[in-house]
Amino acid sequence: MSPAEQSPSALTFDLVTRCTTTKARAATLQLPHGPVQLPMFMPVATQASIKGLTPKQLEETGCKLCLNNTYHLGLKPGQETLDAIGGAHKLQSWPHNILTDSGGFQMVSLLELAQVTEEGVRFLSPHDGTPMLLTPEHSVSLQNSIGSDIIMQLDDVIATTSPDHARIEEAMHRSVRWLDRCIEAHKRPESQNLFCIIQGGLSLELRKVCCREMVARDTPGIAIGGLSGGEAKTEYCKVVDTCTGLLPEYKPRYVMGVGYPEDILVSIALGADMFDCVWPTRTARFGNAITNTGTHNLKNAAYAYDFQPVEEGCKCTCCRPPSEGGLGITRAYIHHTTAKETVGAHLLSIHNVYHLLEMVRQAKTSIIEQRFPAFLKAYFAKLYDGNKTKYPKWAVDALRGVGVDLMIEE
Amino acid sequence: MATSDQPDPLLSAPPSPFFTILKHSPTGRGPRIGRLTLPNRDAIRTPHYIAVTSRGAVPHLSQDNFARLTNISGVYVGLEDFLERASQRPPPLYELRASFPTPDSALRRFTALPDCTLCVLGARRTPPVTAPAANPNTESTVAVSTAVGFRHLSAADYAEAGETLGADIVVGLGDIPYGRALGSKRIEKATDRTINWTISHMKLRQQDRPQDPNQPKLFAPLLPVPCEKQSFYLDALTTDLEPSIAGLALYDLATLPDLPQPLTPLPLLAFLTPSTPQTLLHHIAQGVDLHTTALPTTASEAGIALTFTFPAPSIDPIAPHPLPLGHPLTAPENATSLTPLSSACPCETCTNHHKAYLHHLLSAHEMLGWVLLQIHNFSVLDRFFEGVRAAMDAGTFEEECRRFGEVYETALPEPGARGPRVRGYQFKSEGPGEAKKNVSRFKVMEKGREARSENAVAVSDSTAEAVKETEFAEKEGGNVGA
Repeated sequence: MSPAEQSPSALTFDLVTRCTTTKARAATLQLPHGPVQLPMFMPVATQASIKGLTPKQLEETGCKLCLNNTYHLGLKPGQETLDAIGGAHKLQSWPHNILTDSGGFQMVSLLELAQVTEEGVRFLSPHDGTPMLLTPEHSVSLQNSIGSDIIMQLDDVIATTSPDHARIEEAMHRSVRWLDRCIEAHKRPESQNLFCIIQGGLSLELRKVCCREMVARDTPGIAIGGLSGGEAKTEYCKVVDTCTGLLPEYKPRYVMGVGYPEDILVSIALGADMFDCVWPTRTARFGNAITNTGTHNLKNAAYAYDFQPVEEGCKCTCCRPPSEGGLGITRAYIHHTTAKETVGAHLLSIHNVYHLLEMVRQAKTSIIEQRFPAFLKAYFAKLYDGNKTKYPKWAVDALRGVGVDLMIEE
Repeated sequence: MATSDQPDPLLSAPPSPFFTILKHSPTGRGPRIGRLTLPNRDAIRTPHYIAVTSRGAVPHLSQDNFARLTNISGVYVGLEDFLERASQRPPPLYELRASFPTPDSALRRFTALPDCTLCVLGARRTPPVTAPAANPNTESTVAVSTAVGFRHLSAADYAEAGETLGADIVVGLGDIPYGRALGSKRIEKATDRTINWTISHMKLRQQDRPQDPNQPKLFAPLLPVPCEKQSFYLDALTTDLEPSIAGLALYDLATLPDLPQPLTPLPLLAFLTPSTPQTLLHHIAQGVDLHTTALPTTASEAGIALTFTFPAPSIDPIAPHPLPLGHPLTAPENATSLTPLSSACPCETCTNHHKAYLHHLLSAHEMLGWVLLQIHNFSVLDRFFEGVRAAMDAGTFEEECRRFGEVYETALPEPGARGPRVRGYQFKSEGPGEAKKNVSRFKVMEKGREARSENAVAVSDSTAEAVKETEFAEKEGGNVGA
C-alpha cells in the first residue's frame, strides 16, 4: 500500500512546554473555530446538545471543543437537513469547535448485528430494519456535511478483549486501507482536520505497525482507538505509552473514549493530549457527582440532609456560593431533584463537565510550571485521602514508567 | 374604569403598602390594575402570572437560566414537594432552616431562587393530584402527595412551616377537597375546619413575631363554593381576622360574585389551572390579580412554541383564521427552518436559535428542547400580561378580549412531541390494569433481531449498491462539499 500524498491541514499545533519528568506536554491547538489548550477534555453532545445544557452554559464551563456523534446526526436530523441548515455549528448555535467520530463505533457498540466487510460496516437501520452500509466515503461525506473542525476516519473497531488475534490484525490493516479511502473522499481538508485512528488491539507489535503506516499518511492529528473497552488498565497504559513513543511530536494525540479522572491524568503523563467521554454527563443523570475526593452518588439517602455544595471550593455555576455569583446548590438539593426533575441533571452536568475541564486545566498549568509530578501526587493523595495502599497498581506502575513514583513523597 | 386620581373608597381604602389598586371599574368588581410591593423583591404589576414550580424549580429551567433568561417575577411552591422524608425525621428543608439565622429563607436558599423573585408557598402543588378516597382531610390534617405516596400534613405543622421557611406569601390551609364536590354537609365541616385552622395560624403569627416586617403575608383560602355557602367563615374573616389577612386564595370562580365588600381590596391569587390564554383573560376579567399557571410548561412539554399576543394582531382578511395559539415544532416544515420560533420575539431562544434546532431536539427527545421552549413560552406570557395591563390602562381591555376570542383558536394545538417522563407525584394511578404512562424507548434490539432473521439471506447476498437506499448509508447522498 502506498502512502497517500501529504494531507493538507486546518490546524496548527504550538508546543508550549514539555514536562521534564513525564511524557506530558502542554500545547495550543489552533482550530478553525478558535484555539484550544492541550491537554484537554472534550464533553460529548451526542445529538447536538450536551444533555439539557444550552451552548452558553457549556461555554461557561470553559469548553471550547465538544463532540457530536456522526451516527446520531446521520439519523437525526440526517445529511440532507444538515446540508440545508449549513452544518452542525449552525444547527446548535455553537461558535466554538466540534469534533465528530466516524460513526463506526456506534455501529459496533449499539448494533450487535453489524457486519464489517472490506466495503464498510453493514447494519440494519434501527428505525425500520432496512439493510444499510456505512463506508469510509459515507462517513467522511457525512462529517463534511456536519462541518466539524476535527473529523475521524472510519476504522474497524474490534473489542480489545477479543481473543481473535487474526481478526484484530485484519482490522488494523483494514483501518489503514480505510484511512486512504477517507483521505481520498475528504472534500474539505482546508477547513476540517481528518484524524487517523491507530488500531491493533492490545498487541504492541500491531500498534507499532499501525503507527508507522498511519504516521506516513501525515494526517493533521492522530487518535489512539479501540481502547476503553474493558481491557486491563495496565494493558491500556502500555498501548498508549507505545503509541505516543512512535508519534510525531508536533501533532495532537487523542485517546478516544477516556473520561475517568485517573485515566485522563495517567494518559497525559504518557503523552496523550485529548480525551472524550459521555461519562460526566451520563453519570450526572443518575445523580453521581465527580469530585476530587471521588465520585459520590447523591441519590444515596446520606445526602438528603447534606447542605454542603456539590463540591466544596468548586468554581462552577452550580457550586459557587451566591455571594460569588453562583447558585450555591447543595448536595441535598441535587438529591431532591435527581431523576425527578430535569434540572437536577442539568445542574449536576454543569458541575461534572466543569470539574473535568478544570482538572485538566490545572494539569496543564502544572505542566507549564514544571510541577506536574507534584500535581499528580497531590491529586492521588486527595482522591484516596492519603491512603497509599488504595492507589490503583496500574496507575502507580504506569507513572513509575515515566519517572513519577506516587509512593514517594515530594 | 375609574382612574387613580379620583377619590373613591376602594382605591383609598387599603392602607397597606403591600397591595395597591391603581385602577378598577366603577362597580369595584371586574378587571383591575394593581401593584404588589414587598421589601427586597421586585414590585409586581398585576394582573400577572405566578409560575408553578415542581420540587423547587420551574420545570426544565435550571436556576441560572431562570435568573438570567426569564423575567418570571413570582413562583408558587407546594410544600408537599419537600415532605417525603417527614415520617422518619424532619424534612431536609426544615433542618436547613435551623442552620440559618432569621430572616434568611431556607426555601429560597435550598431552591436557589433569586432574591428579587416573589415566593408563594402553599400546602399542595397546583394542580394537585387528587387524594384517594381513603386519605381524606381530617379535623386537623390535609392529605398531601409526596414522592413516596400520600400522607397527612397537620394544620399546625403547616402553619409553622409557612411562618418559618421564608416564603413571601403563605397561602393559609383550607379544607379544599381537590377534585371532589363539596356537598352541603361537607361544606359545614369544611367551613368549621378552615375557620379553626385560620384562627390557629393567626395565633401562631401573633405569638411568634408580631412586629416582624419579614413575616410572610398570609393569604386566606376561599372555599370553592359561593360566598353565601361559606358565610360563617367569611364573617369571621371580615370581622375578626381581616386586619392580619393580606390576600385571598381563590379555588373556584363561583366564589367571586358575592364576595363581601370589605374583602375586595385584597389581592386575589387564583389556583384555577387555566390552560389557555382565553381562560386567563376570563379570570382577569373577573378581577383575579395573580394567576398561578402551568400553561407555558404544558406547551413546552408538548413541543409547542406559543405565539399568541395581546392585543391580538389585526386580522388579515387573506390569511386563514382563527390563528393558532402556538406552533408544534415537531411539524416537518420546521426541519430546515432557520427562522426564530416567533418573529420579533426578544427571548434568548429566538435570539440565538432557530426552529430547525428545536425540531431536531424534540424529535431526538433531547432535554434541551424543553429548556429552550420554556424560555420562549414564559417570554410570550410576560408580554401577554404586559399587553393586558396596557389595554386596561387604555380602557380597551374588554374590546381586546372580544377581538382575541375572534382572532385565535380556542385550544392549543395537539401535542407534537412526547414530553418528559411522567413522575408519580404528577398523576394519580387509576388502579389495576391502567396503561403505562411512559413509553419504553429502547426496543430497537428486539426489532432488529427479528428483522435480521427475516432479512438474513438478503443481506448476505446483497451488494453495497443494492443496499445504499436510506439516508444514512446513501453513497452519493446530499450535496456534499457544497
